[in-house]
Amino acid sequence: MTAQSSNASFAGATRYVLDEELAQIVNISMALEMPLLLKGEPGTGKTMLAHAIAESLNMPLIVLNVKSSMKLVEALYQYDTLTRLNDSRFGDSRRDVSNIEEYIKMGKIGQAFVADHRTVLLIDEIDKADTDFQDDMLDVLDQMEFDIIEIDKTMSARHRPVIIITSNAKKDLSDPFLGRCNFHHIAFPDPKMMRKIIGVHFPDIHDDLVDNAIAAFYHMRELEAVEKRPATRELINWIRALNADPDFKPKRLAKGDVPFLGVLFKKSGDYERANAFVNRRKMF
Amino acid sequence: MFLAFFYKMKEMGVPVSPTAFLTLHRALANHLISSLDEFYTASRTILVKSERYFDLFDQVFAHHFQGTELPDVEGLAVDEMARALLEQWLKDPKAMADALGMDEDQLSRMTPEELIAYFKERLKDQDGRHDGGSKWIGTGGTSPVGHSGIHPGGMRVGGLSRNKSAVKVALERRYKDYSLSGPLTQAMVGEALKRLRNMVPAGPRDQLNIDESIYRTMKNGGEIEIAFDRRMKDRLKVILAIDNGGWSMDPYVSVVQTLFDYARAQFKEVKTFFFHNTIYDTVWQDAARYRKPVRMAELFRMDPETRLIVVGDASMAPYELMSRDGSIYVQDRSGQPSIECLRLLVHTFPHSVWLNPVSAAMWNYTRTIMMIRQIFPMFELSIDGLEAAVQHLMAA
Repeated sequence: MTAQSSNASFAGATRYVLDEELAQIVNISMALEMPLLLKGEPGTGKTMLAHAIAESLNMPLIVLNVKSSMKLVEALYQYDTLTRLNDSRFGDSRRDVSNIEEYIKMGKIGQAFVADHRTVLLIDEIDKADTDFQDDMLDVLDQMEFDIIEIDKTMSARHRPVIIITSNAKKDLSDPFLGRCNFHHIAFPDPKMMRKIIGVHFPDIHDDLVDNAIAAFYHMRELEAVEKRPATRELINWIRALNADPDFKPKRLAKGDVPFLGVLFKKSGDYERANAFVNRRKMF
Repeated sequence: MFLAFFYKMKEMGVPVSPTAFLTLHRALANHLISSLDEFYTASRTILVKSERYFDLFDQVFAHHFQGTELPDVEGLAVDEMARALLEQWLKDPKAMADALGMDEDQLSRMTPEELIAYFKERLKDQDGRHDGGSKWIGTGGTSPVGHSGIHPGGMRVGGLSRNKSAVKVALERRYKDYSLSGPLTQAMVGEALKRLRNMVPAGPRDQLNIDESIYRTMKNGGEIEIAFDRRMKDRLKVILAIDNGGWSMDPYVSVVQTLFDYARAQFKEVKTFFFHNTIYDTVWQDAARYRKPVRMAELFRMDPETRLIVVGDASMAPYELMSRDGSIYVQDRSGQPSIECLRLLVHTFPHSVWLNPVSAAMWNYTRTIMMIRQIFPMFELSIDGLEAAVQHLMAA
């Protein structure tokens, strides 16, 4: 355990409502210097957590958005052959063409390694990439170093970054991968927690509106056979919309009149289903 | 330390690894854990790597640190009732005492374990002598189960404190929803089928080919020439044949529907056919198996690289599979037994699987499943089964 990791501990940020359990998990993972794998429904704040950690510990945040076609080397570094080819042909840059190192650009993981300060490295939606990528990447993060083959140089991390990995998948990641990180599953916030989250985002909003909106929101989430259930992000946008509408009265929500359904339900099938549901309720 | 806890978890089927256990000890040695609550959080985050096992972990934790009973399959029904009983007892000790024929004082002096033991004893008794004698237990059974009913000593009735103890949290079994037994959702099917692809170059030439560019530039004597390639695109062909007839498939309709929906959304070239029980010389494009028949001969003309996925319970009368005129439909008289047709299909499409919604444990009890398994590589229609099937389909 390094001195640095022991004195910094995470206790929440301005725009993020943290439950105690999660704070403890983050702190333990930082102290053990292990990556933390977060799973959970979309909209439970997996990505936001990394932002919050970076903010509260005052560390720069580096985000690696994983894509399905991504190769590990892209996340580490890139050898810019085209620029070198161009420079060698026209020679109008200040770079030294014979020095390959000048054409090596660091990828996101590379940046986190060479940074002057300890950083928070967020690896977002790891499940999009294939298993080999995941395993190889964990090797790099375990060793805290990688080789740049072109210049035969080993890059090692100056500071071990705080690594947060998120995954949307219901399916498990590979065993060697899981063996190397700590795990937490963020459950969807309960109405009480949601109330706090809304409070953080809208400090001066009417209680009446929030209570009714949250009640209606959880009611709509119960709707069956919906493909993409509305999550925190949708609720925040929805409350923003309700708040902006001068004609809107919170009492209407309790009566079953739910405006701006399109903010909550984004798939056309879901929208229709929700709409039918609301209209049916209105009739009675 | 905590070795017993570790082995108990292994025994109960939570996949825990020694490495993770050592990590937990590292955390302990570094004084990162100072209370039972923290131990609960830390041990779960370090040892348990999937939310599917959170529920089991909670149970083992509660068992180890508080001595609650682990679910025992045989006594499950009784346990559920016992739990309901305890809940009832906590709510209204007097009524319970009356029902058990003891006086309230006597009841309150019993430990929960004694109470349950006494109750079970009584219940078995009762079952032996006359049926329906335990009616009040039936009504009690509707109360929510899974709540911390086992150990009343650890439970505060009414006015729960805000800071829950770890054992209390564990007893709540918040993660029950994520257990393995959940239904197959579209997202899960999507995950499993995602790796089923066949990448071929297609589309506009917009991807830089560095090696080729350097080569051509050299050939040009240093004059830069840049070469582009086509992007890799997925061009996998899939045939999905679904058994949608008969009551035997009815329980699985929603699962199959999910698979079907996903396949339609995911693959560009997916052909779906329907059949009843097994395939003779015709399959149908419409779900009613009436309007659009497709002869087998047409199917056999398709690209052999096509992945064939058959979904069906493979359960039928043996003669339907073996007999020359086995079809239960009179108009379906092909002259060769269905099993020959299946053999021919596998022969034509080397990449083929049979997905069976019947759980694999039951396969050996149905003769036709065993026979079809000898022809088709059969996988269970579950997340794990799908994954194995995809692996099989992608193997060259």
